[in-house]
Amino acid sequence: MAAKGLDHIAGAACENKLFEPADSVEYIQHHLSNLTLGKLPYDTEVWTCNKDTAVWDAPAIIPMDTWTFAHGPTQAVDMGFWAFHVDSLGWSVFLGLVFVGLFRWGIPKLSSSSEAPSGLQNFIEMCVEFVNENVQSIFTSAKNNLIGPMALTVLVWVFLMNLMDLIPVDYLPRLSQYAGIEYFKVVPTTDPNITLGMALAVFILIIFYSIKIKGLKGFLAELTLHPFGKYLMPVNLILEGVNLIAKPISLGLRLFGNLYAGEMIFILIALMLTFSSISVGLLGVGLHLIWALFHILILALQAFIFMVLTIVYLAMAHETEDH
Amino acid sequence: MNINATLLGQTVAFVIFIAICWKYVWPPIIAIMEEREKRIADGLEAAKKADDSLEEAQLAFDQEMNKAKAEAAEILEKANARASQIVNDATSKAETEAEKILTSASKTIENDVNKAKEELRHKMSELIIETSEKILGEEITPDKHQELLAKAASEL
Repeated sequence: MAAKGLDHIAGAACENKLFEPADSVEYIQHHLSNLTLGKLPYDTEVWTCNKDTAVWDAPAIIPMDTWTFAHGPTQAVDMGFWAFHVDSLGWSVFLGLVFVGLFRWGIPKLSSSSEAPSGLQNFIEMCVEFVNENVQSIFTSAKNNLIGPMALTVLVWVFLMNLMDLIPVDYLPRLSQYAGIEYFKVVPTTDPNITLGMALAVFILIIFYSIKIKGLKGFLAELTLHPFGKYLMPVNLILEGVNLIAKPISLGLRLFGNLYAGEMIFILIALMLTFSSISVGLLGVGLHLIWALFHILILALQAFIFMVLTIVYLAMAHETEDH
Repeated sequence: MNINATLLGQTVAFVIFIAICWKYVWPPIIAIMEEREKRIADGLEAAKKADDSLEEAQLAFDQEMNKAKAEAAEILEKANARASQIVNDATSKAETEAEKILTSASKTIENDVNKAKEELRHKMSELIIETSEKILGEEITPDKHQELLAKAASEL
């Protein structure tokens, strides 16, 4: 399979210089590409830059499946399902650790808690109280002590991931290029894998608690005996099945869509700065500021919505009465 | 924007972070908040108790104060009564004394008067006898004299 999109010519100069987009499309495409680690199939053409002669060698067809980083979106697609977006996952895990670290070591030990709380501790307690209030207002009858920690994780973690959107779009990708990394997306929640991955975990929990609370029979009854009674079981199953599947899909895609759109607008505004015109550049700076200010609202709101919907879906899984 | 194993990786990461939060992050925060809640509740209760005992103490103080005032008034009254009694006693004593003195004085005076009267009588008898002697020209013996005198005195 040819490496489409990489118009290398054997023998052409290939200094290991920084990526310079040829046009707007390439610029945007570069910003939307993840750093993908995966297995390239055995017949892929691979171009290598000869360091001694500084020209492209003739493309080699790799003899066997090889784990490597994808050069360009086409190779990323070629890698198929078993590939990882190292940048999304890396930032996601890093921010998760930031959350855990902040909330674990931001509060004093119980024995030394006699003083009035200050600064960070106040903030942490405020978050926890906020989450607790939300959980308690939605979980009125059933009790589950996993929901609170989960909601807190969702709120803070998703918010931190969203917050990466406020870093100007070119900063970190540019820095990573100096470190020799070709693609670098910094906002995990603009990657549908990340948002749908979390939605999948929520979905698994929904099914787990549905079966745990109502029993397998009760869960299946809920899926098949509503809304038309037992003689229209297939219709019921389709309706309730769609209802069930729609929960995680909408949960993941809502967050992804909002953040992806916001990121896209940041990229388009950043594109204005690549034009060699001062007035367009200044306009771009102004627009960036306005959009960033507005976006703060969206970031927090989407994190909150994700949390509330997670709680609501799990509360529905705990509901035992017929509806 | 491919859907790939990143999704599963994120699912695993999500579950792990939930577990970490559930086990290690959430409990200490809740514990610290509950502990403070309890401490504040205890403090409020203690304040209320202190308030109550203050009120009680105030009440007891007022009672004691009233009692002391009543006692003081009583003592004062007693003292007044005693003082007036002392004065009365002194007055009556003085009066009795004065009366006594007066009585004895008047007795003395009466005695003196009686004495003087006796003397006067005596002198008068002597004078009468002397005169009578002169008139009669007769010596009156001392015995006769004494007899006459006594007779005259008893007649007078």
